[in-house]
Amino acid sequence: MTNALDREAVAASHNPLGFDGIEYIEFATSKPQALGGVLERMGFRLIAHHRSREVELYRQGRMNIIVNAQAADVPRTVQPTERPVLSAFAVRVRDADAAFRRAQELGAWEIPVRARAMELNIPAIHGVGESLIYFVDRHDEFSIYDVDFRTIPGVDPHPPSLGGMHFFGIVQYVGADRTADWVEFYAQIFGFAPLPDSVRFGILPKGLLLQSPCRTFYLQLIEPEEPARYAPAEEHLQRVGFGTPDVLATVGILKSRGVEFLASERVHASDRGALTTASLGSVMFELVHDVPAPSAPPR
Amino acid sequence: MIFSDFGMDTASLAGALELKLAAVRRAGFSQVMIAASDVVGHPSGVDAGVRAVRESGLRVTGLEMLRDFEGLDGRLHAYKVDVAKSMLEVCGWLGGRRLLVEASTSTHAEADADAIARDLRMLALLAIPLGIRIAYKGMSWSRTAKDFSAAGEIVFRANCPNLGLAIDAFDVLASGVALDDLDAIDPEQIFLVQLSDYMWQDVRSTEEQTATATHFRVFPGEGAHSEGLADFITRLDAIGYCGDYSFDVYNDDYLQMPPEKVAARAQRAAEWLGETVLRRALPIPNMERLRPAAPG
Repeated sequence: MTNALDREAVAASHNPLGFDGIEYIEFATSKPQALGGVLERMGFRLIAHHRSREVELYRQGRMNIIVNAQAADVPRTVQPTERPVLSAFAVRVRDADAAFRRAQELGAWEIPVRARAMELNIPAIHGVGESLIYFVDRHDEFSIYDVDFRTIPGVDPHPPSLGGMHFFGIVQYVGADRTADWVEFYAQIFGFAPLPDSVRFGILPKGLLLQSPCRTFYLQLIEPEEPARYAPAEEHLQRVGFGTPDVLATVGILKSRGVEFLASERVHASDRGALTTASLGSVMFELVHDVPAPSAPPR
Repeated sequence: MIFSDFGMDTASLAGALELKLAAVRRAGFSQVMIAASDVVGHPSGVDAGVRAVRESGLRVTGLEMLRDFEGLDGRLHAYKVDVAKSMLEVCGWLGGRRLLVEASTSTHAEADADAIARDLRMLALLAIPLGIRIAYKGMSWSRTAKDFSAAGEIVFRANCPNLGLAIDAFDVLASGVALDDLDAIDPEQIFLVQLSDYMWQDVRSTEEQTATATHFRVFPGEGAHSEGLADFITRLDAIGYCGDYSFDVYNDDYLQMPPEKVAARAQRAAEWLGETVLRRALPIPNMERLRPAAPG
């Protein structure tokens, strides 16, 4: 009896929100078509337009990307500019409202409802810089996109993923000596846990890795290099990482679609990972060798 | 001597914010502690107050003062969270990296250590996205933390990387807290040290101490406890503290004097401290990163 309770307590403390991966990632830009072109080369398809706002939904496999060109109407959120910005990510949880309330009690900043890209009442908190973090539940039962979006006629709403790509992680740039603060933030609110330095993914062995409590998603916190430590800290979400079981094969597929990869002495495609060159001044994607667990196969 | 370790406090000076900042700068200081009322009470509005600070070229030591935050329940707690969020936002606009928080004196505050730690932890988490650290200061007439030692225990219990201590020399001098207690404090946990002296040899009652603290403080070197102050700073230096020193001098007389005159007194105090007390060697270059970055 006591042991069973203990085990439950351990499970609850390990994943207090029932965190279950990433529902979508959002970019903000005033040039949504240009970013759409970049996403399409990466294998995403435009599948739906928002019913009332300048917001589009791209998808491949289980990955959803929202492109938001709507002007922001609250402070501390991204104002769309030509240079696309990673403006939000949405975490799947057991009970979004409960997760949102808990986050507020712990010390998260809530966002007024009208400020968000979606009209559904999706609760959100402030993340790093001007970015937001949404809480989404019931992702198994119905699609949150059905309410807000109009599917484009004749388009396959479930395009397959290229090379088995799936959301793997997000790289976040943090200020000097700020890693511990952000570890605390993600650990407290979401149950992320720092990984030891010996665990490394991809080809850029920098920063600190945080693992989601569902162990399928990672945040990589990177502090400025030594000479830049005195510059004013610009903290932001920098790039998205896609997992793929065969990095070099996926690189091949993407190259044939016009995607360019960094090929320097220090950073070049290998079976561990690869990094695209920057498009539109700021958008780059990382590929990381990762075979998803059999319980969650990419569609 | 590293003059840049010392800063003034806008609450020590009379006049418009721009004039206070100019006086601080002319006296050779490179940093200033900002009293929130100086910014939000700017006659041309908050934005103008923020602009004045950012254009002054001075580094913001921190924003003060959040009071009576911890240990409250229900509606009172929610109200104070709103106040705290507003202060954190102002601090962020200024490019400040620290919010100074005084241990609660509210009779409504419960003294349960876990509740206090939980509230401070929440405050610290609120401050993380804004890049702000919380400097928590014990005071002898507080209900929740009566000195830096008690505040240190709460900070330890709350265990949040951006939550640390502010230590006020006045509270150490006036309450006779044993300096040996400093040895138990991790210097990395000290986010700010405030310096001031006062004229009387002795303060007898809590009432007298409160009145002295809020009206009759003077700059280091001007008061009756130069020796005690010197011991205090030497001790901090010995345990490895290498952060900022702010002059938190609240004195009704100074508020009736031109800010330049008061700033000149602060300048003498910084020189006295640097030359007589600290005789600090030049810092090792890598130690610079322990100092807060310049405002953005």
